[in-house]
Amino acid sequence: MASQSPQNQASLYVHENVVHNAKTITFIRSSMSAITGSAAGILGLTGYSGFIFYALTAFFTSFLIWSVKTNTNPGIYFRNGSDVWTEGVFGGLFSYVLFWTLLYGIVHVYD
Amino acid sequence: MSQPLTSMLVESQALYLDPAIRDWVLIPIMVVMVLVGIFRDQVTVLIGSTSGKKAGIKAIKETKALTRGVTLRNYGNNIPSSSFLIRKNYLCSSYKKGDFLKNPASANQVVNPMTDPAGMEMMMEGMKKNFAMIIPQTVIMGWINFFFSGFVLSVETPDMDVTWVSSLSWYFLNLFGLRSIFTLLLGEDNAADGMRDMAAMSQMGAASPGQPQDFNKLFLAESENLELTPHNWELDDIEVRLLVKYGKRELVDNKDIIEMEDISSNDLSDVKGKSKKKRT
Repeated sequence: MASQSPQNQASLYVHENVVHNAKTITFIRSSMSAITGSAAGILGLTGYSGFIFYALTAFFTSFLIWSVKTNTNPGIYFRNGSDVWTEGVFGGLFSYVLFWTLLYGIVHVYD
Repeated sequence: MSQPLTSMLVESQALYLDPAIRDWVLIPIMVVMVLVGIFRDQVTVLIGSTSGKKAGIKAIKETKALTRGVTLRNYGNNIPSSSFLIRKNYLCSSYKKGDFLKNPASANQVVNPMTDPAGMEMMMEGMKKNFAMIIPQTVIMGWINFFFSGFVLSVETPDMDVTWVSSLSWYFLNLFGLRSIFTLLLGEDNAADGMRDMAAMSQMGAASPGQPQDFNKLFLAESENLELTPHNWELDDIEVRLLVKYGKRELVDNKDIIEMEDISSNDLSDVKGKSKKKRT
């Protein structure tokens, strides 16, 4: 109901809570990228298929966050509703590649 | 000429990797990097806690006074105009006079961090932290390069397939990839992350860390900001908003912005009230 001046927009959100929500998302993303990276390595994906796999799983993770954690209404948890889909995706990519390489190396390369 | 080259290529492709390399290179590097990250985090905690000095009451007053101005700017719409004006005038004049300053006499002279003992302390703090960060970084990198240079890699052979992972590239993968793992292990505000020091190092040239801020300047800027802040009381159009909320009135969207004077002069005429509501 509040008007849309930037001042009122700012006061609608409690900063600490928004930060906490962002932390939660980062946590989910980190663990998911480690897990999916391991999965990709064990499956033996190489090249583009591995990155496509990451895109798919990241999207799936976002969908889960969106549907389960925010009850399809991210606007009340984040200043910008689309944060749910984008936050931490690129940070997770590095961990994904790390675990992908590690598990691929352990399972497929040295035997 | 092309004959030996192709044969060499084929040979390098068929390079056989000893499983022992996995056990003695791949996994150790990762383990060492995780442990060093945790160690680094603990060292930072140690250094930070030994020098946990409490700030003086005046210093706290300074920062809190600044926070107060920011709060008024952000949430001023929730109090009536008169209250807002009183606070604004008080804060602005105090900022300008320097009432909140730790040391009002020295308002205009530039503080030299070398002579100010508190500033000196802070600089030492920053230096200590930086060293604690950078030294392990370089040591590990050198160690990996030195010890494991003979193993998977030898990238010196130019005809080698680029998909081979050298131990140094494995190190860099770790450097970037472990960041979120440290977040999982040590919590959000850990100091284990190696990339942060790089960012800190590149910043060092721009603004030396630990330099005390010039609160006089900050206060003046804040008072300027405050003076420019408009005030629209949240409850100006509360009647209309209520009526609309309970379906007693429709909203009309023709105007988005309403001047404050309009509302105070003639009580909410229909169009204005409705249009204001529209900005949900």
